[in-house]
Amino acid sequence: MRSKFFVLAGLLIAVSMILGACQPAAVPTPETIIQTIIVEGEVQEVVVTATPAPVVKPEQMKVLTLNMGPGDIPTIDPSLGTDTSSIQIVAETFIGLTRQDEVTNLVEPGMATTWDSVVNEDGTETITFHLRNDVTWVRYNGSTVEQVLDCDGNPRIVNANDFYYGIMRTLAPATASQYAYVLGMSMVGANDYNSGETDDPSTVGAEVIDDFTIALTFIEQAAYNPAIAGMWIAYAEPSWLIDGDDCTDARGDKWTETGFFQGYGPYTLKEWVHDSTITLVKNPFWVATDNIPAPKIEEVTWTMLDASPAMAEYEAGNIDTVAIPLADMDRVKADPVLSAQYVVAPDFCTYFYGFNTQAPVVNDVRVRRALSMAVDRQSLIDNVLKGNQEPARWFSRPGLAGAPTMEDHPDLGIGYDVTAAKAELQSYLDEVGKTAAELDLTLMFNTSEGHRKIAEAIQQMWKDNLGVDVKLVNQEWAVYLKTIKGADTPQIWRLGWCLDYPDANNFIRENFGPNGSANPWKDGKPFGGAMYNNPDFFAGLLDAAREQDPKVRVDKYAALEETLVSTDAVIIPIYWYTRNTLTKPYVTRTFSTGGHEYIEKWDIDMDAKP
Amino acid sequence: MTQPVSLENNEFGAGGRPISVKGESLFRDSVRRLARNKAAVVGGTIIVILILVALFANVVAPYPYAEQTLVDQNKLPQWVLSLFPTMKPYAQLSSDYFIGADYVGRDLFSRIIFGARVSLTVAFIGPLISLLIGVTYGSISGYFGGRLDNLMMRVVDVLYAFPSLLFIILLLAFFRSTFAHPTPGTFTYTMSQLDSASGGLLFIFIGIGLTAWETMARLTRGQVLSVREKEFIEAARTLGAKDGRIMFRHILPNVVGPLVVAETLAIPGYISTEAFLSFIGIGVNPPTPSWGSMISDGAQVIRTYPNQAVFPALALAITMFAFNFLGDGLRDALDPRLRGNQ
Amino acid sequence: MGRYIIRRILYMLVVILVVSFITFGLMHSVPGGPFDKEKSLPAEIIANLEKRYHLDQPLWKQYLSYLNDVFVPHIAHEKPKGLDVADDYLIDIKITDTFWIRWMNFGPTFSSRSRSVNDIFRQQLPVSVQLGTLALIIAIIIGVPLGIISALKQNTIYDYLGMSIAIFGVSVPVIVLGPLMIWIFGVTLKWLPPTGWGSKPPYIFGFLPTNLGWDYWKYALMPSVALGLGSSAILARLTRASLLQVIREDYIRTARAKGVKERNVIVGHALKNSLIPVVTILGPMMAGLVTGTFVTELTFGIPGMGKYFVTSITNRDYPVIMGTILLYAVFLVVANLLVDIMYAYLDPRIRYD
Repeated sequence: MRSKFFVLAGLLIAVSMILGACQPAAVPTPETIIQTIIVEGEVQEVVVTATPAPVVKPEQMKVLTLNMGPGDIPTIDPSLGTDTSSIQIVAETFIGLTRQDEVTNLVEPGMATTWDSVVNEDGTETITFHLRNDVTWVRYNGSTVEQVLDCDGNPRIVNANDFYYGIMRTLAPATASQYAYVLGMSMVGANDYNSGETDDPSTVGAEVIDDFTIALTFIEQAAYNPAIAGMWIAYAEPSWLIDGDDCTDARGDKWTETGFFQGYGPYTLKEWVHDSTITLVKNPFWVATDNIPAPKIEEVTWTMLDASPAMAEYEAGNIDTVAIPLADMDRVKADPVLSAQYVVAPDFCTYFYGFNTQAPVVNDVRVRRALSMAVDRQSLIDNVLKGNQEPARWFSRPGLAGAPTMEDHPDLGIGYDVTAAKAELQSYLDEVGKTAAELDLTLMFNTSEGHRKIAEAIQQMWKDNLGVDVKLVNQEWAVYLKTIKGADTPQIWRLGWCLDYPDANNFIRENFGPNGSANPWKDGKPFGGAMYNNPDFFAGLLDAAREQDPKVRVDKYAALEETLVSTDAVIIPIYWYTRNTLTKPYVTRTFSTGGHEYIEKWDIDMDAKP
Repeated sequence: MTQPVSLENNEFGAGGRPISVKGESLFRDSVRRLARNKAAVVGGTIIVILILVALFANVVAPYPYAEQTLVDQNKLPQWVLSLFPTMKPYAQLSSDYFIGADYVGRDLFSRIIFGARVSLTVAFIGPLISLLIGVTYGSISGYFGGRLDNLMMRVVDVLYAFPSLLFIILLLAFFRSTFAHPTPGTFTYTMSQLDSASGGLLFIFIGIGLTAWETMARLTRGQVLSVREKEFIEAARTLGAKDGRIMFRHILPNVVGPLVVAETLAIPGYISTEAFLSFIGIGVNPPTPSWGSMISDGAQVIRTYPNQAVFPALALAITMFAFNFLGDGLRDALDPRLRGNQ
Repeated sequence: MGRYIIRRILYMLVVILVVSFITFGLMHSVPGGPFDKEKSLPAEIIANLEKRYHLDQPLWKQYLSYLNDVFVPHIAHEKPKGLDVADDYLIDIKITDTFWIRWMNFGPTFSSRSRSVNDIFRQQLPVSVQLGTLALIIAIIIGVPLGIISALKQNTIYDYLGMSIAIFGVSVPVIVLGPLMIWIFGVTLKWLPPTGWGSKPPYIFGFLPTNLGWDYWKYALMPSVALGLGSSAILARLTRASLLQVIREDYIRTARAKGVKERNVIVGHALKNSLIPVVTILGPMMAGLVTGTFVTELTFGIPGMGKYFVTSITNRDYPVIMGTILLYAVFLVVANLLVDIMYAYLDPRIRYD
């Protein structure tokens, strides 16, 4: 009888086999995959570098493991990257024309050693980039990193044509790159080409002068133009690999897969096990510069774990650096070993609540200011967030070019002030003849554990400090975005913003300018988000972007911030992000503020490593 | 109308045997048998207590469920610390909270008490919906068989072929967005008001209700299929009993045992569905507490503050025990052949 | 029986079509699109994306072309190159060098540019199938014997103990059990790796791990127990209830009366019949285990399908939603068909006519 029962179980399993066995017969898999099989996590292969270097025994090899967060990396195609995981990999396997220092976010030489700028008669700015000529394309061939050869057998050198190809591929409508809009709004002709208005590539303000010189023309003269030219969407890309040529098979969408991938940065792709890990290997052909040194660590692996499992792996000694989950913060701070490995670093993001400035009740600036001043940001940070975040007094994160700092503008913006908040609200209540409890207010956020905790705490602050009962509503992310960027924008909503390039323009103008990300417009009128329309403010944004004197520029942005958070109180700035990390003591590292690490600057002390 | 043949005092009992020598009704017999089952009585008592606690939560709970004292967050009393000594290095003590406070300084004990409302509602409404629809559907399909059975089962097959959790997530996204901005006075407005009044539970019920009954229908049909072939049904039919009577008097009492068991087995499923929805962030609206959301909140901090996960989980486990023992007792009582007498 | 099965398979196709229709309709009626981001994208960018994925076409057209891609076999006259993720068929059969039959293109995924839905099926589904199968085996190994013992020793301490274990198993969710196991066995005792999975593509027959040594099991042990425990409790209680009922059936009494040995009565007569409801639940249970791995995968960092079931809905990744739900549906209807055939096999009184 039982045997029959097991026959059944067997049959069920057989079904799963049949379903699982629907294996394609002809879909090509990279040939090299077979060679790269690594026995269960143990790296058994020896990295033989092409330059004569001593063969490193695996146990002595400097190998670093980090965590990236759950879920597969969406892409490692520079033209397509939108999120920090993708850009982390891309930033290590390619180098832009310029590069930002990961700590200071200052623009430094990348593949271009120098560049010069000319302001044209029509107000556009042409920047000519002079490229280095000693960097070759490389690929991991299954056992070692090798130079990519052209059809004549010579190493392919990264040149201006590759950059031109990369930029044009990003802009091509068929590529459907999401971040193409950053080039679209800053480069001459880029938007028309991207939207299909024209299919003539010569209308785009990008021109190859010679093999190692490329000129880009920008719509307006701005301090941040070289930074935009250094963004991942403008990296050099291997046209022969994507589209194919006489001696290379075209790989199309699949060019970023293990075995196919080619790059030229300090690291290159070794293996990408989807949904599990991605491993980069040192590029021995990378010629070190002052700001991009030759990597010391041979191999870097990112796991794709949720925060808590990653923390467990860190404590088990399998991951070398990890972001501390909020839940473990109290324990880490009290633990003598872990607290010594704990570092807080700034992160260039701002967390804020926005108002629908045309919705009932919050269409009065006094109410908005009162709600903003009644939020005890420090208490929220100490008791809920616990990550030593900084209370935000305005929107643009200090440290960005053009953004005011707490040092030079200590009194700028808005902060916790119950007395003033009560007075503002009372003045409104007297006028409309209502009590605080009668105000009908709704705060909406997208469903997430973290946002919920913050919303619950702020809800309580409003109740305690102002006597206002604010309803909390949450919506699932995609629905939420539709809601807050449409006609039904709730009275109060939440959003966050992280930098794309390190300039105040990326924060304040791209969010609250007309048709900004947090202030969408339709038919020439605000439609959703902040529903904010202040022509003086908008003119100020343009003016500040063009200002050349850095000191004056900061003052101009300071005045704009004052309007945004206090005079008009369009948003409640809540906190500026920090990153709370644990790093094993044997790792020497830098702490990036922009979201992605430059591992080539890290090192591992093999003697100290257990 | 033909005179229904009374089978109660007939020698053809529910199992084809005399079910009672005294001639008492099936129901009274069942109650008596249930009362004799100690485990079931204990289970039943616990459930009654839980229901009372849930009904009078505002009287029983020492604090309102939403009251936060941020500075008291994660505080706990001495006895909890003694229970989980790993918290020693960082634990902040406070005797104000019986089993500690949560991440924003709300009393865990009060939240568990209020959370019983949500979890018990889920535990009762879920099975009720699925029993009502499922058993009716399944018995009709199984009893009449043939084309009707085939048609009805294909409908179930379609619904059954949906992954229920995914279906609930899709439905929730659909309902919550469709009913997000209704105009007052319309049906959608009423629905949305009901939903927010229930802390977001209404749509969860509808989601669970729409997905849960198919299992019950299939199970009922399977049971009815095997029972309807039995001799005593033939006998009843020969004696001229009508379909309805055969179904309710003869078939249902014989199949109800496994159904009740399956339903008590499913209760943890409903509660954990709610917990899962809370885990992925689309459960009840904050600050409404449910055990599911408390467990999923607590699980995040399980290494740092184990009490925040253990106590809600304990509340859940006790409820499960109670439901299961009561379920067993009910089954034994409803199906007289199952009396434990060996 | 043969005709019955053929008819059922035809029904299955109808069921799958109806499921695809309902899913398609439902997912497109939920507001929010796949390209709604925190940083709102300009209309031109959205237009490019929608064009790329043919979302700019009318819905009925999108649905028909989906049906065409998935259900209708296609013919190719050269070896498929596989350059385009939108041109990836799950089944490519070579007839001659210039004649290929291609079937089941589930489309690209919006969340990854270099992968198709079929890639997810090839790379992530095997992991979930392995995990789900192991969990089911664990559930059966623990659950069925526990239920039998409890039933045979009804109302004794063994019964109460067995059922208590079962109820415990079902009331401690993976959300709690998982981190606890990681903490105890992974971090404190260091017996097992806290997270990860011991196999990666390519898989034998498309789903079996290439290694079955300790390197595999050390990863598989914790998650399959965590996932299987809840199901084992369900099996235990179902087995117990069903066996209790069967033991009191007439034919068991008859067998006993005839003097058949108690052991033979139980093994020869009672067990077989008591397994009917247990078998009924195995099909859906297996499907549930394979697809219900979201929390387990997140907790143990396993690269399976589970997260796609959930994230595809939150991300409005339409092809993945369709693909995963259809996959699940196929799985379930096949499992149900097998269950029904088993029904007849285990209980000859059930006729198929």
